Amino acid sequence: MITPRARRTGLVFNRSTFFDILKFILLIAVLTFLIYRGTLGLGYNWQWFRVPKYLFLLEDGTFTLGPLLNGLMVTFRITAWGLVLAFAFGLVTALFRLSHSFVAVVVARGYLELIRNTPLLVQIFFLYFVMAPVLGIERLFAAILALSLFEGAYASEILRAGIVSIHKGQWEAAHSLGLTTFHTYRYIILPQAIRRLLPPLTSQAISLIKDSALVSTIAVYELTMEGRAIVADTFMTFEIWFTVAAIYLVVTIILSLVVTIMEVRFKVVH
Amino acid sequence: MQGQTAREFIIEVDKINKEFPGGVRALVDFSTQVRKGEVLVVIGPSGSGKSTFLRCLNGLEEIDSGSIVIDGIPLDDNRKHRLEIRKEVGMVFQLFNLFPHLTVVENINLAQKLVRKKTKEEAAEMTMSLLKKVGIPEKANNYPSHLSGGQQQRVAIARALALMPKVMLFDEATSALDPEMIGEVLDVMKTLAREGMTMVVVTHEMGFAREVSDRVIFMDGGRIVEEGTVEHFFTNPQEERTKLFLSQIL
Repeated sequence: MITPRARRTGLVFNRSTFFDILKFILLIAVLTFLIYRGTLGLGYNWQWFRVPKYLFLLEDGTFTLGPLLNGLMVTFRITAWGLVLAFAFGLVTALFRLSHSFVAVVVARGYLELIRNTPLLVQIFFLYFVMAPVLGIERLFAAILALSLFEGAYASEILRAGIVSIHKGQWEAAHSLGLTTFHTYRYIILPQAIRRLLPPLTSQAISLIKDSALVSTIAVYELTMEGRAIVADTFMTFEIWFTVAAIYLVVTIILSLVVTIMEVRFKVVH
Repeated sequence: MQGQTAREFIIEVDKINKEFPGGVRALVDFSTQVRKGEVLVVIGPSGSGKSTFLRCLNGLEEIDSGSIVIDGIPLDDNRKHRLEIRKEVGMVFQLFNLFPHLTVVENINLAQKLVRKKTKEEAAEMTMSLLKKVGIPEKANNYPSHLSGGQQQRVAIARALALMPKVMLFDEATSALDPEMIGEVLDVMKTLAREGMTMVVVTHEMGFAREVSDRVIFMDGGRIVEEGTVEHFFTNPQEERTKLFLSQIL
């Protein structure tokens, strides 16, 4: 529970906060205990000490990335390109849907319905097994394309809602000043819309990071695929999957924090 | 403008019709002309079509039939004509419609750079002189949300003037303002009128009309009911509808 005072001043530590934290720690302790007891029953052999070398190696003062962090770099590459492309697809689709052109509207609607009504996994398989050989695109690009087409469809709905939410008077003022539609979008509508849309667009970016795990199914060696490979080699199922999950968590939390900071800095007061 | 290129009327509106979806006829065979330097005040009850008339003049509303010619340029389907006309016709809105994500200076600079293709320095110079003219140079780097309503409207006037338009349209520019701020906006408008700007002003401020207008049009139901000088309206209105309306607003 955030009290009004806490909202103003940041964190306030009082009795109820103390009990909240106590309850949380207790809950974690119970969960940990249950997992521990379960693994005892399985006779699981924990080998956490073997995990670090899959993250990084430090030999003779030289630092090299282990397979997991290498996988994370591939995940970053997929995500970064995926974000750029998803934003582009989303923006074009949103503008198409808002345009007066019949063809553009139909194209945008067709793309949206196709993407939203088929599973992402099937789209990845379709692009990799059907389109990639036909068009001669490589594995990593097929993965990026599949993810960005998928996330782009959802981003376009967010962008469209944001664009529509900008008051009609902004369009009229821009038109009355002789601005073209392009200039109006570029300088008036989108800057305002995107500021409002930062929170939902961030969720979409986080989805993209998480969904990128699915491209391990077409053997792109990103974080999840590296995890699978290591588990197959070492049978350290628990340790590796805990580690992989933690890495995803750290990345998405950092992204959320960055966007929160951006939101505060670029806030528009109405 | 002089010599052979001189045109008697800068705004020529001939029998325009405008019907909104749902069958509301906002303008019915509406015709009028405005001379260069003339200040035309349009009054009428809400829904009489006066704002629609104003918004048709710079193409914010499409007309169904008839013709509009601004400074010799026909307002038609030609996109170039439309942009050209919008350069020459400034508009001030009831709700200001400033760009909230831009500072006062940026609001005024934007169209100068994009539409008039001015350099940053040229635009900045023009902007500062306009801010002085409307009396708020000290607010140059504030955002619109930090300004009072009257100040915002004065920025909006400066923004429209920055394109050096030949005609200014005012759509109930003081209707959304607190009473104590109406004066400061009207003062700017009066100054413009005295400097010879061609203006079409939709307003209920009969005091403004009395001081600077050359002609007043009373509209109702999308038509001109009565037309004349402001003295005519104050002393000798002919139509019953005009008398009724005037008794309500005065």
